[in-house]
Amino acid sequence: MKRSIIRWPGLLAFVVFVGLLVAFSWLFLDSILRWGMEKTLGRLNGAEVNIERVEHSWVPLSIGVYGIQVTNPQQPENNRVVVGEVRADIDTGQLLLGRYIFEQMNASGIRVDQPRDSAGEVYAPVTKDSLLDAAGSGLEALDIELPSVDDIMQQVNIQTETVIANAKQTFAEQQQKLEQAKAALPSDETLKSYEQRIKELTEGKIEGLGDLAQRREQLEKLKADFRADRDAVKQFKDTVSQARETLSAELAAVKSAPGDDIDRIQQFFKLDSQGLGNVTSLVFGEKARQWSQYILLAYEQVAPMLARSSNDQTIEPARGQGQWLSFTEDDAPPEFLIKKAVTEFAFGDTVLDVDWRNITHQHQQLGQPTTFQARADNNGLWQSFNLNGELSLGENGIDARQQWQLKGLKLSDTPLSESSAFSATLLATTLDTDGSMAVRSNQLEGNGAIRLANLDIQASGEQRWAQLVGQALGQLQRLDIRANMSGDITSPSLSLNSDLDRQLTEALTGTAMSAAQDKLDAVKARLNEQVQSALSEQQPQLAELTQLLELADSKDSRLNDLLNAKAEDSVGDKLKEGLFKKLGGNN
Amino acid sequence: MLTLLAKLLKALNSETGAWALAFAFVLGMVLGLTPLWRVHNLIILLAALLFRINLSAFIVSFLVFSGIAYLLDPWFHQIGMSVLQSPSWQGVWETLYASPWGRITQFHHSITMGSIIVSLLFAPILAVLSYLIVINYRGHIQAWLLKLKVVQGLRASRFWQIYAGIRG
Repeated sequence: MKRSIIRWPGLLAFVVFVGLLVAFSWLFLDSILRWGMEKTLGRLNGAEVNIERVEHSWVPLSIGVYGIQVTNPQQPENNRVVVGEVRADIDTGQLLLGRYIFEQMNASGIRVDQPRDSAGEVYAPVTKDSLLDAAGSGLEALDIELPSVDDIMQQVNIQTETVIANAKQTFAEQQQKLEQAKAALPSDETLKSYEQRIKELTEGKIEGLGDLAQRREQLEKLKADFRADRDAVKQFKDTVSQARETLSAELAAVKSAPGDDIDRIQQFFKLDSQGLGNVTSLVFGEKARQWSQYILLAYEQVAPMLARSSNDQTIEPARGQGQWLSFTEDDAPPEFLIKKAVTEFAFGDTVLDVDWRNITHQHQQLGQPTTFQARADNNGLWQSFNLNGELSLGENGIDARQQWQLKGLKLSDTPLSESSAFSATLLATTLDTDGSMAVRSNQLEGNGAIRLANLDIQASGEQRWAQLVGQALGQLQRLDIRANMSGDITSPSLSLNSDLDRQLTEALTGTAMSAAQDKLDAVKARLNEQVQSALSEQQPQLAELTQLLELADSKDSRLNDLLNAKAEDSVGDKLKEGLFKKLGGNN
Repeated sequence: MLTLLAKLLKALNSETGAWALAFAFVLGMVLGLTPLWRVHNLIILLAALLFRINLSAFIVSFLVFSGIAYLLDPWFHQIGMSVLQSPSWQGVWETLYASPWGRITQFHHSITMGSIIVSLLFAPILAVLSYLIVINYRGHIQAWLLKLKVVQGLRASRFWQIYAGIRG
């Protein structure tokens, strides 16, 4: 007998198999959901996502996810965000059509940038620059060398000794010129002989016109000698005047040389604020980066995940995974939508609720952006906080805007830097901040102000510069920091600027000067001693010049007297008297 | 595994219909080449159990083609992507995508689509090829094989003891 083509026991086996499959899925649904969520969220995140457990209920259809850890692809040792609990109600009808529509979602216990027990696996490595450019270099890069007096003495090239040497050389040169000029001066004997000759020519008896002519001729010869000597005296006076002027200038230079040198040494102590680097970023950068993750949460965390969910190309599918394509029409409802969500961010014992509307990656289909708003006043940590913004994914990427104001945030015992070279702790401060930012086609641009008042910072380090920076930070009462954010949404950069650099430069300069004051005084004393030694030699020489000038004046005066007045008059009178006598006249 | 192979050998050497074996190979091939957790594989399983085809051949085929599928995954992905992204088919895919039954098939997955297309195209070829091999095996190859020293050595092994036990 030919057997039937149908094997009825086989049908029974199929029913049993399917029944077992359904029972297995029913029993292990939570584990299957957990596994699926870890895979899907991991793909969207670009790095490992861990979920502690998942619970579901059928009526109404809802799901609870607990202990979510989202690895930071840039820092696999850290979770970019940790969520304690998420509960969501799912629209069953839409789920049958393949749409994940959540009417309400509540997430609590959210913390960002938390360390992981072990490094998470990264599926899509992102080449991302450090959020904070300067902070990445670390405090070790802050190479502050305080100058010592000895180092500076070598660099400054002390001028006092050179000035003294130049003055001595000038003195010697002028001395030589003076000696030459002095040698050409008529001596006192010469002047006396001139006076004697004049006296003989003018006071002796004139023996007629021949005698007169002879005397006149001798007188003219004498006048020629007088003029030559007077020129020599004039030349000498010029030389002395010039020497006195030159030497006075040299002495003034010598006197001021030590002061000039000390001034230049002190100038070298003044540190270049640019050489210090951006201390604001180095000290506050790491903490500001953590703070910014709360401010940028919507962009840094949610937006990239939504962007990835809308574009599978952003992650290269693993072998055997394949790719899921979407064939929704432009006017179709979104496939994924959380209509309302409340996320509770935990700051110690303080909780901040952020209200979300319309979380989706298909904003064009929804026709509305995702909006978020947080407002909390007068809690234990701050006086007032207000954050609101919106974001949407379009053809050109993410478009978004947000603004925030936070007043009276009290911070205490907040570690700023725990570097081996430099550690700093914010013991207490009151922080105010406000700002705004916008994203256009994935490009972020924004700025804000961080104002720290009633600052109390404790900082220390083993190296000298670290101790000085610590002292300077300890003196700060308030600090205004300007923050600028820019760059691609997946790798925003944050830069901080304040007048801390200037304050720190001044403080370091003052400290360095104070530390070097004893040595500076010693240097100054040594230079002054050299100058006094030089002055004790050269000042008498200068006084001598004055005496020489007086002497030259005296000789000049005597020569002028001889040349201009007495000789002419007396000879003329004598001649007149002789002529009258010969003519017999009385007058 | 040895038992499974022995059962397959028994089926080849028995009076089991050649087409029953050939269809078993085809169904095992579809199950092996396409991703396992898909609705269409339930239909394949139902067919394998409900119709009187050789289950040993079905399982062996599934195992062999599962290994081959791993090698061909990138190729399936490419084929699936090109078909799913083909402009002329967009209307069909959108309609399927909008329907719950279409979404349940998970046709919009590149490897699923690519592997189904390849396995469906290869199914008639494998069916005819399997049928011819079974017929030829029974007519010529079986007698020739039995003369080989390797096979004679095999007949002294544990595998042959299992085979003999099954044959009874």
